Amino acid sequence: MDLHPGDEIETLRSATAEWLAGRLPLAAARRSPPGLWDELEAMGWPVMTLAEDRGGLALDHASEAVVFAELGRHLAPLAMVATAVARRWTLLPAKCALAIPAGDGALRALDPEGADVALVARADELATVEISPGPARATIDLTTLQARVPGAPGAPIAGQKAVLHLRLLLAAYALGAADAARDMAVDYAKLRVQFGQPIGAFQAIKHICADMAVGCAVARSQLYYAACALGEDAADAAFHVLAAHMLALRAALANGRANIQVHGGIGMTDEAQAHLPLKRAHLLGRIIPPGAGILLG
Amino acid sequence: MRIAFTPEQQAFRATCRVWLGENVPAEPRPLDALDALPFDTAWQRRLFDAGWAGINWPREYGGRGLSLIEQVIWLEEYARANAPWIGANFVGVNHGGPTLIANASEEQKAFHLPRILKGEAIWCQGFSEPGAGSDLAAIRTTGRIEGDHLIVNGSKIWTSFAHVADWQELVLRTEPGSQRHAGLSWVICDMHAPGITVRPIRKINGQTEFCEVFYDDVRVPLGNVVGGLGNGWKVAMSTLGFERGTGFIADQVRIGIEVDELIATARASGAIANQAIAGDLALLRAEVAALRAMTYRNISEAARTGQPGAESSLIRLFTSELNQRVDRMAVDLLGDDIIDFAYGDPGPVSEYLRGFAHTIAGGTAQVQRNIIGERLLGLPRGR
Repeated sequence: MDLHPGDEIETLRSATAEWLAGRLPLAAARRSPPGLWDELEAMGWPVMTLAEDRGGLALDHASEAVVFAELGRHLAPLAMVATAVARRWTLLPAKCALAIPAGDGALRALDPEGADVALVARADELATVEISPGPARATIDLTTLQARVPGAPGAPIAGQKAVLHLRLLLAAYALGAADAARDMAVDYAKLRVQFGQPIGAFQAIKHICADMAVGCAVARSQLYYAACALGEDAADAAFHVLAAHMLALRAALANGRANIQVHGGIGMTDEAQAHLPLKRAHLLGRIIPPGAGILLG
Repeated sequence: MRIAFTPEQQAFRATCRVWLGENVPAEPRPLDALDALPFDTAWQRRLFDAGWAGINWPREYGGRGLSLIEQVIWLEEYARANAPWIGANFVGVNHGGPTLIANASEEQKAFHLPRILKGEAIWCQGFSEPGAGSDLAAIRTTGRIEGDHLIVNGSKIWTSFAHVADWQELVLRTEPGSQRHAGLSWVICDMHAPGITVRPIRKINGQTEFCEVFYDDVRVPLGNVVGGLGNGWKVAMSTLGFERGTGFIADQVRIGIEVDELIATARASGAIANQAIAGDLALLRAEVAALRAMTYRNISEAARTGQPGAESSLIRLFTSELNQRVDRMAVDLLGDDIIDFAYGDPGPVSEYLRGFAHTIAGGTAQVQRNIIGERLLGLPRGR
């Protein structure tokens, strides 16, 4: 047993963080820089767990989860999650949108620009469908667009492990959003002065930030455990991945809300970035939300 | 990263499991400290005879000297086997003893350590005072130097097992006029010395476990000072890391078992059909899993660096509040049966009431949040 990332993963993580800070700062997250997708591909992030003989990096899920949490912290494209899963479990080489059933038989294809295939997320089985999306429109998440596409059975991806892989990466993205919200709130609480002192000196604000830190630590720990359980084919891997997914979503939503409160008036403005993690959290919360069933054993 | 244990560690787990399976007492530990004393003493002796007392103590002092991961395995198996809390021996084995190991003279160690491990000497802790709770540095109990003795006056409170203890780890002010962390000393106080009065305090669940202790010109030999006069704060802090490392592991396994039992209860009663209850139970199960993952991460970091991980304060806060959420759920599932609770009844209501201590003892949840905010997140201190 060793749940410390160690030097190799830490190097990977810090390189990812550094690249993202330069290329995808949160302040610019709403306008994806041109050519971004090709750069993300070139960094190898969609093929981290793919075998070497198929052009992948042959890393384990633990490394992948740590890196995807960094991507999530920068609200990186949602298609990265779908593409990484599709590439691991099918032979699709292209960018893959993430689709969820829309209720009327159609699909919502999320992050569809430049994608002619989508990974359909269902709790029991994933599938891929070809799409030819029309003009994209907004979602609540200001960093993600969507297109309505006709529903189709598509090509199923056999096995529960692909669903768990998708949940793991969604959990990593949610954790990233929770981390981003915590960091924004803490930074602001150190800077903003009222009543003659930084508001972070007030216990009422300090305790909100402490709870945000607890939420992140809980979600990150379970994410690491789940990534190992999945990678080691543990008998209870499904339980641990679902637990990680549930706890990361809760942290993202709670921290997203708290971040706006800590920012006060400026948190109410579109111009500030405080609302971005919460909106990402709400979108993630609608993608195969984990139910109580498997968790109750 | 990996969650699997090595074959050696798995073999060690099997050893623990076999011994515990054959030795855990069948009868439950009595609730009241006085009734429990013979039980606690016998269990400690049995642990000692088999070499399982002081699992984290160095071998040279009679401990087992287990690595951190082996301690985790032992504590997990201990809880799974439903082995009893070490009760009255808790302070000596988990706090007083390790403090002596880190700070005491060879003479002090040679006298006290074997007695603690064998369950022959019960220790209690004299830190908190009526005016020094979360703010421990506000200690006012004094030790006036007179010849080769300290003359102790004042009072301590929330002292678990004081009414059955032989010795006390006592922190008091030995420099007249000193303030806060300076001028304090950590001394070994004989609880049978003249001038000590112990008043047991009944808790809100009816249990009598902790006490108030009064000192009226109590004579403590200067030879009982540990770590030097005036160094009491440093000595007291030297072992707090333990509580934040492996101290909670058996608790964590126990609440996991409790949650599984609550799920079984809710299934049997049909309460699980209520979506809110099912959702809450599912979340508790996820949180218990995450707590283990947090501890594993912390232990993994400590195994590399030799220090408890930076997130120890987060684990502590999360554990205390999760314990209370589990206690509350158990009481919610009881329904009208909560009405029948009377002092002396064991079970969920008693645990629920006793559990309010989780977010109070050893620094309240509010103090923990201050610590997280200031030391982990770098927020400014309030003035």
